[in-house]
This record gives sequence, C-alpha cells and structure tokens, in this order.
Amino acid sequence: MTALLEVRGVDAGYGDVQVLFGVSLQVREGEIVTLLGSNGAGKTTTLRCICGLISPRKGEVLFHGESLAAVAPDHRAGLGIALVPEGRELWPQLTVRENLELGAYHRRARRSLSKNLDRVQALFPRLLERKSQLAGSLSGGEQQMCAIARALMSDPKLLLLDEPSLGLAPIVVDQMFEAVRQLHREGMTLLLVEQNLVAALEIATRGYVVETGRVRLEGEAAALRSDPGIRAAYLGI
Amino acid sequence: MKPPRWFRWRPAAIVLGLAVALALLPPVARISVYTQNQLTLTFVTIAAALAWNWLGGYLGQVSFGHAALFGLGGFVAARLQISAHLPMILAWTAGGLVAGLYALAWGHPTLRLRGPYFSIATIGVGEATRLVCTYWDWFTGGSSGMSLPVTAGLKLQLYWYGIAIALVGVATSYWLRRSPLGMALLAIKSDVDAAGDVGISSVRLQDGVLFLSGLAMGICGAFNASYYSFIEPVETLGFEKSISFVFMGVIGGVGTILGPALGAVVFVLVRQYFIASYPQLYLGLFGVLLVLVILFEPLGLTGLSLRVARRFGYRERPDLST
Repeated sequence: MTALLEVRGVDAGYGDVQVLFGVSLQVREGEIVTLLGSNGAGKTTTLRCICGLISPRKGEVLFHGESLAAVAPDHRAGLGIALVPEGRELWPQLTVRENLELGAYHRRARRSLSKNLDRVQALFPRLLERKSQLAGSLSGGEQQMCAIARALMSDPKLLLLDEPSLGLAPIVVDQMFEAVRQLHREGMTLLLVEQNLVAALEIATRGYVVETGRVRLEGEAAALRSDPGIRAAYLGI
Repeated sequence: MKPPRWFRWRPAAIVLGLAVALALLPPVARISVYTQNQLTLTFVTIAAALAWNWLGGYLGQVSFGHAALFGLGGFVAARLQISAHLPMILAWTAGGLVAGLYALAWGHPTLRLRGPYFSIATIGVGEATRLVCTYWDWFTGGSSGMSLPVTAGLKLQLYWYGIAIALVGVATSYWLRRSPLGMALLAIKSDVDAAGDVGISSVRLQDGVLFLSGLAMGICGAFNASYYSFIEPVETLGFEKSISFVFMGVIGGVGTILGPALGAVVFVLVRQYFIASYPQLYLGLFGVLLVLVILFEPLGLTGLSLRVARRFGYRERPDLST
C-alpha cells in the first residue's frame, strides 16, 4: 500500500543553515504518526517542507504517491493538506466564525462549508458558543481548538498538527488530545509534532524521533514507548 | 438574478440616491460654476482616496508613492489625446491600464517584503517617477507641461463622469471589503503566513488589489488632466500629492469602507481654507492634524462617528469597522 504522505530523503534549511539531513518518513491513511524530538531538532521545518513553505534542497515530498515539488503552497491546501501551525496563527481581529469560514477558502471546501461547520462545531461545542467573539479574545485552549477547527474546515485528508499542546493547561491538553483521538476514530490521518512524548506516543500509531535534523528512531508507538533509549533520553524514567 | 451575499440594499440605496441628487444639482438647482467645479474635483478625489485605501487600508500596505500612478495615468492619457487624437474616455482607460501595469512592475516584488519596506520603496518610486517624467520631455512636455483639447460643455460632462467614477469607487470598496475576497484580504493583512496555510494565495490577491488601485489611480489622474486641460509633473507627481492620499485615508479612517471618501471631502475643504489663510504654514498644519488624529482617533472620522453612535446605543459589528 502506498503511503498517503511520504517524505523521501529531504535536506532543507534556511540560508546557510542546514536543518534537515536526509529526513524520510511515511504516513499511511488512517494513521496518527507522531514526530518527536527536542527543540531545534527540525520538526517544524519538516512540516514546513510538507506544506511547501520552504522547498527541500534534496529529496522530495510525495502526496498520494505524486511529487509535490511543482505544487505551490496555496494549492496544497486544495489537495487536502492542512496545517495547524505552532502558536496557532489565528486572525485575532476576526470572529471565530470568520476564522472558520476562511479555513474553507479553496473551492472544494467552500462547497461543503456548512457541513464542515456543523462537524467542527460538534467536535468543539465551545466554538459554537463563541462564534461571534473575536478570535483574539479566546483563551489559549479555545484558540488552539479554533486553529484545529479552521484547518478541518478545508476538508483535509491529512492534518498536520504542530505542537498543539504548547502553552496549554494540563486539563486543556487532555481535551485537545481527546479531540485528536476522536478525529482519528472518524478516519482522519494525522501527523502530530509534539514535545509531550508520553501523551503523543499514547495516541499515536507510529512515531519518528528526530535529533539534529536526522531521524534517529522509528517504529510502532508501543515499541517506542518501551524503548530503553527513549525512556532514558526523553522520558527521564 | 440574486445579488451576492455581501450586498446590502440600504447603503446601496443611500449612495445611489445621493449620486442621483448630486447629478441633478447643476440643471435643477442651478449651482454656480465654482461650486460645480469644486464638486467635480471632490468626486475624483474621493475615488482616488478610496483607491489608495484598497491597498493602504485593506491590505495594510501604505503607499507614499501613489502620485506616480495618478500622474502617469494623466500623462499617458494626455499624450494619447494630443498626439493620437484618441477620444477622452479611451485615453483615460489606456492611462489607467498603463498605471496599473506600472504599479505591478514595482509592486509585485516590493509587496513581498514584510514590515514597512513596501512603504519605503514607494517613496523612491514616487520620486523617481517624478524625475523621469520631468526630464522625459518629448513625452510629458517636461516641466512646462502639456495642454489638452477643450471642448464646449466639457466641465459639465466631467461633473457627471466624476460622479460615475466616485460611484464605481464606492461599489468597488464595498466589494473588496465585504465579499469573501475581502475576508481573504483581511486575513493577509493580519497574518500572511496563516493566510497561506489555509490556501489563500497572498501573491495573487496582493497583485490584483495593487493593479486595481493603480488602474483607478491612473483613471483619476487622467480625469484630473482633462479637468484642468493641462498637466505638468510637479503638481501631479510631487510628494505632496502622494502624501495627500495618505492624509485623506488617515483623516477618514484607514481600512474602513467609506472613511477615505469622507476624508477626501474634508481634505478638499480644509486644504482650501488652509491655503487661503496660511499659505506658508498649510503643510505644517496638516502635519499637526495628522498627528492628532493618529494619537486620539486612529480610525479617523469613522472612529469618531462610531464613538458618537455608541453613545446613543448603536452596536456595530466589531470587526467590520477596522
């Protein structure tokens, strides 16, 4: 079976600084794959390559088995790749409802706008209560939900989540991961970048551990959870 | 045919009613020629202020060089009327198109810059255009300018054309602000990365708005040249002209739908008064006014009127006024 997303031997960086060195990973349909690693390991850069915000110097990114090299970033959203960026990047002076409607900007998603609106509001009932409030006035957790909901409005086949638990209260983190699990049950394919290893490996199917721009370890989430190297290096137990 | 979702009957009826009333003023109310000419100038100034705002307000890319587009449109239209004997409206259209393409030529690369760099580039573009037009005398007539053909009844004709141009400007402003496209422009203005993430092509939209703004600016400049039957570089291409569009936007409310139109009206009136009463000081007085507005009411007259309206219990949608 071909993977929904395949990153093949990607080198990438910014200016003179090379961040990724031959990163390869696969996400198959219906999986939650988690990309783990400490600060500066190259997790966000990998996501930026997938979205086309930077182009790889070597290697390629394939979606449905086809290279994305010639696909502009704004068209990738139309293909079904949605990113929930780190730090959320909502439009603070637009209302929640408007943020969500803008999520369905490209043509395919605009057609199913009301259906998707119902769907994300069922997933995050809180957003329904707050729909006419300005996004900038939401709490951190609500903003994160709004960012995920906005990405879902584009009717994605693959959802990329960049550190969704960042800066949230523990109880909100639990709710957020529960929502991710719910999406997985509904058949969504997810690539989850996290620093919260324990939580991420708990919900993920498989995982990759990156370190200074290289994939160090990969495998089933259960196997990674019990890997003594990981336990010592990252979990501190 | 069903009107689009962003269309509102009430503002449309008010604006259209106002336009019809103004159009009937000269034949019915027999206003003086002076008033008629002042109104003509105000109409085209309104359109220019709105066109500046599409870029400066809706996309947050403040241009200090829009006189270059205004002037270029004027020169191209004038040259085509004088040398090629093109009919006025055709010449205006050509002037507008050239101005729009010229805007794209320098705006396409500079709009990609983040922060204030676009604005800084526009200062250079404005000055460079003025200098080139001053020395390119076989095309522009150099610093002594060019005279355009005058026909009988032209001024009254221009009065009506002015109303039409302002009306198109207002309609375009509503469309650019209230349609889904307007939402996308707001998204680009407030976070261009996030806009890219959801699939909004900021390059295409920014270029599109820039072209529209240049097109409208060029047509206004061409109109202006026809109105004075004369065009020369210092007045039409000077930095003072560029700054005047910024003034109008700020006084009326940058980024609002009709604020700049209001700003244009106030600007024309206040400028008349300042120039008549304090000819040496008038630019300085405008500077002071600008500082006061930015300090105390960043949304200009629109912000002020919303503040008054709120006092009387009116609740507006918070996001649409900005």
